[in-house]
Amino acid sequence: MLFHTPQFFAFFVVVLVLFYALPRPARRWILLAASYFFYMCWNAKFVLLIVALTAIDYTAAMWMRRLPAGSKRKAALVMSLAANLGFLGFFKYYNFLAGNLAWVMARPFDAFALHIILPMGISFHTFQSMSYVIDVYRGEQEVITNVVDYALYIAFFPQLVAGPIVRARHFFADLYDWRAPDAREILRGTLLVVFGLLKKLAIADQFARIADVFFRDPAAHPGYLAAWSGVIAFSIQIFFDFSGYTDMAIGLAQILGFHFPENFRRPYLARSITEFWRRWHISLSTWLRDYLYIPLGGNRHGRWQTYRNLMLTMLLGGLWHGASWNFVIWGGYHGALLSLERILGIRERQRWSIFDPLRVALTFALASISWIFFRAATLRDSVYILRRLCSGAHGHILWLHWQLWFVLAALVLAVLEESYGWFERLPEAPAWVYASAIAVCLFCLELIGFSGRAVPFVYFQF
Amino acid sequence: MALVTRRFSVPARLGLALLLFFALDALAFRTGWYVSILEPNSTAGFLRTYLNIEKQRPIGRYRQVLAVGDSRMGLKTRVANLVTGNTGCEFGTIAVPGTTPRCWYYMLREVDPRCDRYDAILVPFDSYDDRAWERHADRDLDLNYLMPLLRVTDLPRFVLSYPSWTNRGRAAEAVLLKGLVYQNDFQAFLASPRTRLQFVRLQEEHAREWYYDAAWDRRSLAGMSVDWNAKTVTLPVWLPPEKRRETEHILLEDTKPISADYTSYRRQWLGAILDRYRGTRTRFIFLRLPRGPVVRPDLPPPDPNSMACQFASAGRAILLPEHTFDSLERPELFGDALHLNEEGGYEFSMMLAGEIGRLLAPAQGAR
Repeated sequence: MLFHTPQFFAFFVVVLVLFYALPRPARRWILLAASYFFYMCWNAKFVLLIVALTAIDYTAAMWMRRLPAGSKRKAALVMSLAANLGFLGFFKYYNFLAGNLAWVMARPFDAFALHIILPMGISFHTFQSMSYVIDVYRGEQEVITNVVDYALYIAFFPQLVAGPIVRARHFFADLYDWRAPDAREILRGTLLVVFGLLKKLAIADQFARIADVFFRDPAAHPGYLAAWSGVIAFSIQIFFDFSGYTDMAIGLAQILGFHFPENFRRPYLARSITEFWRRWHISLSTWLRDYLYIPLGGNRHGRWQTYRNLMLTMLLGGLWHGASWNFVIWGGYHGALLSLERILGIRERQRWSIFDPLRVALTFALASISWIFFRAATLRDSVYILRRLCSGAHGHILWLHWQLWFVLAALVLAVLEESYGWFERLPEAPAWVYASAIAVCLFCLELIGFSGRAVPFVYFQF
Repeated sequence: MALVTRRFSVPARLGLALLLFFALDALAFRTGWYVSILEPNSTAGFLRTYLNIEKQRPIGRYRQVLAVGDSRMGLKTRVANLVTGNTGCEFGTIAVPGTTPRCWYYMLREVDPRCDRYDAILVPFDSYDDRAWERHADRDLDLNYLMPLLRVTDLPRFVLSYPSWTNRGRAAEAVLLKGLVYQNDFQAFLASPRTRLQFVRLQEEHAREWYYDAAWDRRSLAGMSVDWNAKTVTLPVWLPPEKRRETEHILLEDTKPISADYTSYRRQWLGAILDRYRGTRTRFIFLRLPRGPVVRPDLPPPDPNSMACQFASAGRAILLPEHTFDSLERPELFGDALHLNEEGGYEFSMMLAGEIGRLLAPAQGAR
């Protein structure tokens, strides 16, 4: 059941009606049941995995509550982390490791492979689980004694399969001090859902068609213009796909009275890769910062340690996305760029200068290059496409004119949002302005929204 | 959940948003502006061109006769109108390949909104019997033709005429969300607007000669033979392999069964057409088309309870004797198993014009 299908909207309406119709104590049960049902629509068996991880982490936290600081408390933490990473490692990385082992042993690549189905959203809910247990261990989070509440935190359907990764303190603050969303919040939530749909169906899926055609057979589209347009098509696809999903998740949660953190802040307007990571998939990058980069030492132990920590964090961040060398290289590339910017002393600045558009373009190009590793089927394809980006022949652009205009319109809206923050003002604008915005979005969806077979969200595979 | 506060009203804002959305949709797709630039080669564009030709055809002083039908309707109006002086009838056609009675209902509504344009409407039949393999009521191709013709008020009748929920959903989309059904066409227009506009202009200038006055296939099936016992067909050499297979299949396939679904479908849509013209001067003439280049010998006897016979016996339509055009069922007048060739079209049009002229003459004088 994908967010952008009629089935999901029917499901959400039922949940919404039940949620607000039933007395408050029953509401968490409704949300939990709905969340498990939502997950079971994908694969009923794997709900057991979520239940098992929930039970393990809940138990570990309850132990920690009783244990004083010391080795036993640490053992509870280690047990929980081992379970989370064990499940994640098995489902996500076993075949990758087995394939590499087979290669080292000069055996066929699939010699040790198993037929493993990757549980949807495992990377997201395990990270969410781990952050809770670590926070409890650190004493930064109170132990949740109600197992239903904890299970709901892990399985809450708007963020279950592709985030944003919500910290326990934020979620439980909403849950325990729940108050009904007011009219402004409902209007904002609705706007986010409509915007998310527009991003996904009208932009991401349009550019997915171009990216699919290019990456399926890069050699069939000669010339650097074809290569760049294919690569940029994927840059556009992945941003609008993921941020569209996130907008919908945040909007749906807001209508239910929950507040998710911002996950994207116009990342393609970043003036450096450092700034890009403050704007892109914010819930993951802050997770990596808080639970990996800072524990590794962050920037507290000199330059070289900082570069090492940056590289390690981004390499693991790359691996988090997927089990292949392409993702490792993607992470390493970003780690190297982050380190390089530190070496060059590139700092974030609030005010824009006249050269900043050039910096934005350069950062976008660098980010787009990284997406090649993300999207290409093999490392060999990635290298081939990289070479093609600077080949002599120019070829032709794979986009249609109107798609270019559509992206330019999106860029203008992004720049205006950066300068004036129109989006947050929209729910408070006069009724006709708000209604016109929704109507125009729906009209664009009607005309340009890809209405073929529902294309899954890119990040669902992680 | 506070849906209405002093500053905001969620239902009002969302209601207004929906209203504006439908207004935008209507402005773009219900005012006729977009329909006028539909891709002429699309199903809907093709239909629109045909209907426009008929709508723009000047009405003369003779009796006006219109033919509906599909690609089998062999009327060449150019030929039939050569003898207007003798028959007292002027012929027009909106017979469009692939259309069915459901389409004809909406097409007639489009070309004759006040039901006062025609003296007679010709409705062709392959057979007066309600024989069919296909489940016509659930034919989704009709949607492609009818997109531009459907109005919001058609919602219940049109949607419920489809038995399956999938097609009901699609039908509701076609009625309510015009932008959605024109989506592919609109995106193709955006891809090269100038080319589209040029093609549309060209089409408007030449559509009549391209479609209406076009010459049909001059080749024929002369020389063909069928051994009904051995179930083998000998066809002329010029037929390409694909056409050959298709012709063999059509000639040798089992006789279509009498279908209750088809009876009900014909009752619904032919009935709706007849109801629309009830009390007007327009007369409906049902005619059985020439069946093919050869006629199988084991045809079952005609069914006197068919829908066509029922309409005729109720005095709602005139049934031309079913063997009227039997003399045209010859290989040399057909271009394939189903369609008359140029010569066949000429013969049929002349015969039909004469029959209709005779039929209408005693009843009504020239206007």
